[in-house]
Amino acid sequence: MNLESDQTKYQLDPHRWISTLPSRSKEKGNREAKKYSIGIILFVLGLVMVSIIKNETRNLQKEITNLRDSINSINFELYQARLDHDVITSPENISRLAKEHLESDFNYYKQSQIRHLNQKEKIFTKLEKTKPKKIIMNEKKNKTAKKVKKLQITKKIKINETELIKSQYIYSKPKNSPHNIKSRIAKKIETKKDELKKFYSDPYEIIKSKKAQQWMGLQVVKVFLGIPIVPGK
Amino acid sequence: MKSKNSEDKSKKKSFFFEDYIEPESLIDSKKLDLVKVSLSRVNFLFLIFFCFVIIFSVKITYLSLSPLPNKIIFSEKANKNFIKKRGDILDRNGIILARNIDIYSAGVRPSLVKDKKKLLINLRLIFPELETHKIKLKLKKNKFFYIKKRLTENEKTNLFLLGDKSILLEKYQFRIYPQKNLLSHILGQIDDDNAGISGIEKFFDKNLKTKLLINSSLKLALDSNLQHIVREELIGAQSDFNAIGSAALLMDANNGEILSLVSLPDYDLNKRFSINDDIYTNKITKGVYEMGSVFKTFTLAAGLENGIIDQKTMFTNLKHKIFCAGRKISEHDNLPKNLSAEQILIQSSNIGAVRIAQKIGIEKYKDFLNSLNLFKIINFDLEEIGTPIPFRWGKCKLATASFGHGITTTPLQLARAYAILGNGGYEIQPTILKTRSNEYEQKKQIISTETSKIVNSILRKVVSNKEGTANFANIDGYEIGGKTGTALKSIEGVYTEKKFNTFVSLFPISRPKYVLLVILDEPKPAPYFVYEFSNGYKHKGEKRNTSGWNTVVVAGKIIEKIGPILAINNLQASNKF
Repeated sequence: MNLESDQTKYQLDPHRWISTLPSRSKEKGNREAKKYSIGIILFVLGLVMVSIIKNETRNLQKEITNLRDSINSINFELYQARLDHDVITSPENISRLAKEHLESDFNYYKQSQIRHLNQKEKIFTKLEKTKPKKIIMNEKKNKTAKKVKKLQITKKIKINETELIKSQYIYSKPKNSPHNIKSRIAKKIETKKDELKKFYSDPYEIIKSKKAQQWMGLQVVKVFLGIPIVPGK
Repeated sequence: MKSKNSEDKSKKKSFFFEDYIEPESLIDSKKLDLVKVSLSRVNFLFLIFFCFVIIFSVKITYLSLSPLPNKIIFSEKANKNFIKKRGDILDRNGIILARNIDIYSAGVRPSLVKDKKKLLINLRLIFPELETHKIKLKLKKNKFFYIKKRLTENEKTNLFLLGDKSILLEKYQFRIYPQKNLLSHILGQIDDDNAGISGIEKFFDKNLKTKLLINSSLKLALDSNLQHIVREELIGAQSDFNAIGSAALLMDANNGEILSLVSLPDYDLNKRFSINDDIYTNKITKGVYEMGSVFKTFTLAAGLENGIIDQKTMFTNLKHKIFCAGRKISEHDNLPKNLSAEQILIQSSNIGAVRIAQKIGIEKYKDFLNSLNLFKIINFDLEEIGTPIPFRWGKCKLATASFGHGITTTPLQLARAYAILGNGGYEIQPTILKTRSNEYEQKKQIISTETSKIVNSILRKVVSNKEGTANFANIDGYEIGGKTGTALKSIEGVYTEKKFNTFVSLFPISRPKYVLLVILDEPKPAPYFVYEFSNGYKHKGEKRNTSGWNTVVVAGKIIEKIGPILAINNLQASNKF
């Protein structure tokens, strides 16, 4: 009895404890933990995203500032360059350089000089306009004839020049001269020699010759007229 | 005691095995406790994490809101953020006349000097002209001092490369005048506090500091090329005629724009030094002078305007000298006894001018001169403005004033009056600023157009006629008309033999566009100067030093050179064909 009574006494009442079980609160806790963890993850993600975006914007901002800086520096360089340019090209500097390097004639051109040139040109044009047509035609013909003559003369001069050069070359080096020329010269020399021999051997025949008779007649006429036989005496 | 014992008994476990098995409910409760603990830990960790996040986010927002770190002062980038403290001044062609730039000055803080000998050697290497014994003395005094102001680029970099903490490089803005002396009397200067102290810098001080002008610039009517030519000619004339000073003014006769204003001697605006000598005053605007016969034009114009005379009116029996209140008035040369009004101006007859003025009368003559604003302070763009000396009108004053004796005004006012006479009689306001001309703007007419035309034709004859006093200015193609003036200088109220010569010219006279005024202060005869006449005849050994023999020559040379720049049509040349 005692045992039974003890068993009953210490027997657990399941219904009594079911309500006290933490089964429901367990779920609640899990859910909250999930909520927190999702929140944290989202927050961390957001934070990371913010930092990434911030970084990107900062890089962009840096680029913008760099570009602004470069614009500023270019502007500043331009600012200084313009000042330098104006110092270098100041009238005082230019006139000094002009004095050093240019001729004085280039300094100033007088108005009167310009007028003078214009006047000359205008006079010529006026005269050309007033000339009759015939005169102009004759002038043109004369001009063309002159040109043709000039061309002919120049051609002749050129031909003579070439011949001269050739003969100079030939006579300067007799050894190198061609055989034909040598023989021609030798013949000429021989004929001359023969003539001389004849002259010394038979002078009467020479006197008989026409040339000599003509010469003699001329001298006689000269004597009668009182003209000196030997020119200059 | 019993109860205690009973409690102890109840706690005591029995020998049954069940007693030693924990019930499930107890186990669950323990687990619940554990979950509770873990949740509180997560909360704690989250709190810490949250704190970190807040700290970082605060830092991020702070960084994003904070401006970019400031640039180092002494670096190349420093120049990028250059902000002008004062606007530029430009001429009519956009050439820079004044501009602010950054400049450095070097100083020494003796308290930070570690090795004095080394410092002195280094300084001597960078600045060879530096007096080391003075630096030594200054170092001993142990007070901050400047080594050099306005350092060059090389000096600045060399000092920076020394890396000496005791050397201080101070940056400040300095105003540069690229044209040096060329416009010294017009531009003026500024002090170290960026405040204008003279010239345009003073007159337009506030305007030059406003944002609008700092970003844009102040544009003047002046042409630096013309200014240079005029200045060069004046310098040459000063040496040729041995004058102590000279001045010239070139003004647009129709709108009053000043294209050139030169006053010699001048000074380099980039070198700051105090100028106290009177010789450096702006002779055109500040100088008040008796200018002689140039006033005869006004006398004749007054007669014509009032209908008292015409250009052919004859004045007979003109004496060579007359007396007024015991003072002699005589002619400068042997002039004919009978002269027409026109001839009086052409040959510059003093007695003839007196006779015209007497015919006009004091009141009418006075009114005429007042209408030209010759004796009041002129409204101009510079502070350096002269005040004509006041006087009382009387018979003798009328006589002397008729030929410009005992009557004073500034050259600027004289040029303005001539411009009015030449432009058809319309009022103009001389200005140094580039103005936007308004064609439809109605101008006040002071003198009739007819009087203007007659005066212009007579002024032309002064230059072109053989009897005229200004033949040397008869430059082919420019139709120059003008009037000479030779006045004796009065020093402390006493007239001396020293001369003050003026020549005012208008060109092209058929429709005057420009007024040129040339002044020579105390010119001497130039016996070695070769005068070239228009017919080619050359003359040397001249002993006279009147206006016709110096200022006229200078004006002719100037017009010959500036004429092509001003692009005046060569009317005479084109009319010949």
